This record gives sequence, C-alpha cells and structure tokens, in this order.
Amino acid sequence: MKKILAGILAAAIIFIVIHQMRSPVTLTIGIFAGNNWDVPQGAPYAIIDEVIKNFEAENSGVKVKYVSGIKKEDYSEWLAEQFISGEEPDVFFILADDFNLYASIGALKNLEDFIATDKNFSTEVYYPAAFKFGQYENISYALPCESTLTFMFVNKTLLAKEGVALPKNNWTWKDFLEICRKVTRDTDGDGAPDQFGCYDYSWQDAAISNGMKFFRDDGRTSYFADSRMEETIKFMIELRAVNGGGFAVSPKDFDVGRVAFRPFTFAEYRTYKPYPWRIKKYSSFEWDCIKMPAGSSGGNISVMDTLLIGMSSRTWNKDLAWALLKKFCYDKKTQQLILKKSQALPVRRDVIISAEAQEIFSWDSSETAAITPADISCAMDEAVMPFKFKNYNSAMLYADTEITKIINGVVPLNNALNKLQKEINALLQH
Amino acid sequence: MQKILTVTGMHRLLYGCNAFVVFILMAFMCLTQNRINQSMTARAFLEQAGAVPQSSTVIFCTTILAFSAFILVGHFYIKSKNRHTRYLLFAAEVVICMLLMRVLNLAYDGVVLLVAADLMYKHEGHRQEYTLLVALICLYFITNSNIAISQAKVISFEAYASYYNAETKAVILALRNTFYSINIVCFVFYLVLLVKNKHEEKERIRLLNEKLEEANQRLRAYAIEVAHMAETRERNRLAREIHDTLGHALTGIAAGLDACIITLEVAPELTKQQLNKIRDAARKGITDVRRSVKKLRPDDLERLPFQEALLEMTKDYSASSGMEITFDIFSWSDNLRQDQEDVIYRVLQESITNAKRHGQATKVKITIGGNENYLLIVIADNGRGCENVKQGFGLKHMRERLELLHGTIHYWSDEGFIVEAMIPLNREVNK
Repeated sequence: MKKILAGILAAAIIFIVIHQMRSPVTLTIGIFAGNNWDVPQGAPYAIIDEVIKNFEAENSGVKVKYVSGIKKEDYSEWLAEQFISGEEPDVFFILADDFNLYASIGALKNLEDFIATDKNFSTEVYYPAAFKFGQYENISYALPCESTLTFMFVNKTLLAKEGVALPKNNWTWKDFLEICRKVTRDTDGDGAPDQFGCYDYSWQDAAISNGMKFFRDDGRTSYFADSRMEETIKFMIELRAVNGGGFAVSPKDFDVGRVAFRPFTFAEYRTYKPYPWRIKKYSSFEWDCIKMPAGSSGGNISVMDTLLIGMSSRTWNKDLAWALLKKFCYDKKTQQLILKKSQALPVRRDVIISAEAQEIFSWDSSETAAITPADISCAMDEAVMPFKFKNYNSAMLYADTEITKIINGVVPLNNALNKLQKEINALLQH
Repeated sequence: MQKILTVTGMHRLLYGCNAFVVFILMAFMCLTQNRINQSMTARAFLEQAGAVPQSSTVIFCTTILAFSAFILVGHFYIKSKNRHTRYLLFAAEVVICMLLMRVLNLAYDGVVLLVAADLMYKHEGHRQEYTLLVALICLYFITNSNIAISQAKVISFEAYASYYNAETKAVILALRNTFYSINIVCFVFYLVLLVKNKHEEKERIRLLNEKLEEANQRLRAYAIEVAHMAETRERNRLAREIHDTLGHALTGIAAGLDACIITLEVAPELTKQQLNKIRDAARKGITDVRRSVKKLRPDDLERLPFQEALLEMTKDYSASSGMEITFDIFSWSDNLRQDQEDVIYRVLQESITNAKRHGQATKVKITIGGNENYLLIVIADNGRGCENVKQGFGLKHMRERLELLHGTIHYWSDEGFIVEAMIPLNREVNK
C-alpha cells in the first residue's frame, strides 16, 4: 500500500515537472504607464510592447506579461503590494525613491554574478553616473534603462532682443550673472522689473555645478560646511540681487517669454521641442538648451536622473530575467528605440553619439541646435547622480528651508553653514 | 484532569499549546499582510519591515506543513527504539523547528521548548545527562545564531503589530506575551511532572527492592529448613540402608556361624566349606555397605538386569545361610522404575532376612505376579511365624518404602510367615 502511494506521488511529481518544462515560461515585468520624467507621452506602452515583441521572438517559448494602467504615482505602492503578496514581477522598473529600500531588504537580485560571468555584457558602455545609480553599497542591483539630464533652457528671442549672444556650453557663473544683470529690467515702466534673467534656478543646481557633494553616499553625514557651498551661497545671494531682488519670478513670466534662463530636463526639451508639443507650449519665442553654467570650483555639471530596472531576488527564471533585463538596458536596438521614441536619453554611450542621434537631435534643418550629441555625451559623462538614501528628502527639505533663509538674507551667512551641517547630520542619524 | 496531569498528558498539552500559538501567529501575519495590501500601506510596511515578507499562501502552507512534520517526527522520535534513528530524528526536529521559526519571522521561539520537551521525554540513564546538556546548549545556540545571522532579513513582530492603531497594538503585544508565558508555564509544569514521575519511579523501585529483599530472606530460611529436612530424611534412609545391607549380611553370617559351630566337629570339611561361604557373604556384605555408603544403591542392581540381580541376591543369601529359596515368577513388568526396583529388591532382601532371623526358616518361596496395574510379591517361609507380629525396624521400613510408591504391605503367620507386598505400576510417585 505504501509503495503504491509513493509510486503515485512520484508519478505526479514527474508529471508536474514535465508539464512545467513543456508549458511556456511566463516572465512578468512591472512597469508604469507613461515615463519617469513627468512629461506627457502619446502611446505609453509603445516602446515596451516593441521590446517585448523582440524578446519573445528571440526566446521562443517565453511569454512576457505586464500589468497595464498603473500610474507612476501609484507604482510604488503597487510594487510593494506585489512583494507582500509574493506576486512581484520578475523584472521591474524601480523608482529612484524605492531603489535603496528594495536593495536593502534583499528584494532585488544581486547582479554582480551576472555581470561578471556574462561575456556578452560590459559595463563600459554605460555612463558612470547612470550605471552607479543602480548600485547599493557598491553592489549592482539594477541596470540603467534611460536617463535624463538637467540643461539650461535659453530664450533665444529675448537674448537676441537684448543683443546678447547665446552663451557657449562652457559658460560660467560670471557669464550667467552678466546676462541676468543685462536682461533684468522694467520694460513697461511701472517701476517693478518685469523681465528677468532666470527662473527656477535653485541653489542645488548651483551647488552641483560648483562640484559640491551634499552627502556621503551612505547618507550618514553631510558636507554643507564645505567651502564650495559657501561659494554657492554667495553666488546665489548675488544672483538674487541681480535677478530683480525680492521680486518673485512666476512660471507665467517664463511661459510668455519674459525670462532668459530656466533649468530644464532633457526630457522636457525633447518633449516640447518637436511637433506637436512645440505648438502648445513656448511657441511665442525661439528657445534652445545649453549646459548649466559652471561654478568657480566646479564645471558645467548637472544632475542626471536615471530610470532603473531590476529583477526580483525571488524570481524562478533568473537567467531569462537577466536576458530580459539586458534586452531593456543593454540591447542596442532597444536603446536606439529609446533614442528614437522616448523623451529620455539612452544610457549607452555608443547610441548617444551615433549618427542617428545626430539626426534626431537636429529637429529643424533650418536651425542649428546649440547642443550636439557630443555635448550631451560629455554632459552625461560629467553628470552626477541624485542621492537616493532613505532620509534624503527630509534632509534636503530641511536644508532648503535653512539655505533659502540665508539666501533671502533672513539669516546671516557667517557660521550658518556649520550649524546647518550639524543639524542635518543629527537628522541623518535617525 | 487526571489524564492531563500525567507526563504524557502534559506533553500533549504542550504540543497543543504550541500548535495553537503557531496557528494564531500564522493567521495574524497572513491577515495583517492582506489588510496591509487592502489599505494601501504596503510601501510603508516594507520600509518598516526591512525585509521582503513571504506571501500569505507560502506562510500558511509552510507553517501547516512544517508543524505537521514536526509532530510526526516528534512522534517517531518518542516511539523509536534505535538510538541512531533517534539522533537522526532529533536532528530533523531541530531543522524543522528552525524552519518553523524562520517562517514565523522568529516571532515565536516556544517551539524550541517543545524540542527540549521531546528531548527530556526520551532522556534516560546517567551518561545521557551530558548529552542532554550539550543538546540543550546547542539548541539555544543554534536558535540564537539563527536569529543573529538572519536578523537583517527577518520582519519583526512589532512591524506587523504597528499596522494597527496604538490600542490594538498594545492588546496584540500583550496577547502574544501571554501566549509566551502560557507556553513557558506549561513547559515548566511539564518538567516538574517529569521530575516527579522519575522520583516516583525511583521510589517504586526502592519499595520493590525492599520486598525482594524480604522474600529473599524468607527463601533463605526456607532453604535452611529444607536442607534440614533433607538431612533428616537422608539419615533415615541411611539407617534403613545400614539395616538392610549390613543387617542382612550379618544375620546371614551369624546364622551360618551357628551352623558351623554345630558342624565343626562332626564334619570339619563341610564346616570349612560353610565358612568359605560365610566369608563370601561377609565380603558381599562389605561390598554392599561400601556401595550403600557410596551410592546407596545395591551393586547387583547396578550391575545386572533387575531379575538377575534378584536371583543373584537370593542365591548368595541361600548359599551363605543354607536356606532354600525358590522363585515363582508368573508375570513380570519389564519397565519398572528404578525406585520400584529398589523397593522390590529391599523388600525381598528384608523378608528373606526376617525369615532366617526371626522365623528360623529353612525354605522360602517367593512368588511374583500381577497384571499391568500392579505387581504382587508374596514371600512365604516355613519358619516359626509368630502370633503377634511386632513391627520392628525392618517391617516398618518396608512399609515406608512401599508407601512411597503407594504400595501396600501385609504380613501374617500361617504355616510360617507370609509377607505380601503390592506395588502399583504405571503411577508416578507422589503424584
């Protein structure tokens, strides 16, 4: 009797195993609709669908599924729920805010082994800031898929009207201040300035282009007392004075073309530059993008944000998941597809500087773009990645409040940065 | 109540208690996880948890399977007789215990006590105390190191409890602590019972030992008594033997010498012959005595087939005493027992001796007959006989010997003296 039972059990197991082996493997991928860069997008799943189609064609017997209709703002919660119910996708997009959490709790598969053993894979193709963004404590848990970079939006019409030449890509704070000083004035004669040098240029933008690093990578300590920070503050105070003093610049001023500069992400640039968005926004003036102005101790550096894709540490099909991950993040075809169809930048250097990019970035043959693929590639090489440790947002919020007070003259600079650093460090210890 | 208060009962209660707590904890975790997902606080929970939780289904199935396996292994552990199998089963139990704790996110370590309880249940003997100690230390070490190693990947119970509001959380934590305490109380009580049980067993063994000692003493006394009785009996038997063998020979010699005294002068040649015969009889008597001393068994009986031994004996006697002895054997039982043979031999010997000594007989006629049930021996002489037979040593012994075989003896005087002995056959003596 026992033998018969054992036999039935063994037969059942063998049957299930064979059945499992024969039935097509299904991989799931977790994605959100639209893009990571908060810019409008036409067909949200166009790129994904095409990549999946290619992947399925290359790997017969493999199906890739995804849940559609998850908005970016709901994605974080959705992913967490999938993890709690044990149904997380094999491969999934990771929001920058979630990356450290998932890496630290062991939800993400350590990719070092794959990277080391896969002969068809090399990290050399990536820009360092993009690749390192997928690392936690120097271990890769995710690969970059697409990036975007902050550039300086320039109102060419306004500069031309004021007789100022378009700044070069290697311009500095000094040039920036100069132009701002020139363009800031009262045009209608009501006594208040109504044309400004810049809008939305934050002390963070300035500090980064001055080579400032706010925190240690592990987010345990901050460097606000750094001399580069002091330079930044001084520059910001000066800029504020130049830029109309206490007068607040509104987004409307910018939209109607009364502001010369505004930091913009590349995604925004790509969205609003070509047709049809070009008609809808910023149609009353000619504009272009250049690199951020360099600080006295830094360079034309800006922050590069990257969309990461990782795989679950609990996936049953590790090798296939890795293949799918590579399909998104490493495959040249996919990266070219991103270049062609998405608002973001591909992460492969060879794709950025390809001839195709050259074509795509010169939207209008009659107009010479201020920025070339080579400039973009160079900017991406120099770019720094955003911080993504747990307390980053609260620490940065606190710092912003305090530093804004200093810039606005509410608090004297004197020793304020040392004090701030201490306070922030205390905050980070929690 | 009485049933629960036994060690086995308590052991079962401990299992039941643990099963209940494990089930409740498992259900709590599963339900909380589901509620977290429904209330859109998954991201916050992950942040607090610091690890990826197993899905409710996995937790449920693993817990149920692991605990069932635990109960099974525990059962076989207690039942198993083989020491090596037991060690294996114990190791399996520890592994399952760790798996169970891992699934429950180390929220409950009472299962370790359960393993300890199993270990104690099976503990016996002296050297095993060390094994027990080492095993217990290892058990705690393993659990603690398990906790230490997997600390980063384990979701604390507080993370689950924190999902609920402060009041509910307090109640949940209090409940959990109560479960812990109940389990520990059960375990301690179990240990107390176990110790008590062992103590009672020792006491019982002590009492049994005392009884045994008493019985031994009685047995010793009885043995002495029996030895004493055996000695007495043996003395009696010896007395009989001396009377039968030595008495017989000496009577024959005395009678022969009487005759010699008379015939010495008349026929010296005949007397010489007679003396030779007497000497032979004396020698025979000596041999008989020796044999009696040595084996307490007649030599003829030892040496010859029984019937021949009888003939030899009578021939010898008649030769020494000059008495004419005739045999009439009508029927004969071939499968006489040794004791029966002995008795028949002695009865004949005694009767012949008596005929010569008391009846001065010259002729003795021995008739042996009977059927398959009994053997009848009649010894009739032509001697004086006597009116009132006074039972002497010889007759008394004959009766005693026969009575041992459930036989009977009758004697009376007619034309001479007649002894009639009846021995039942095919009957076990003293049965």
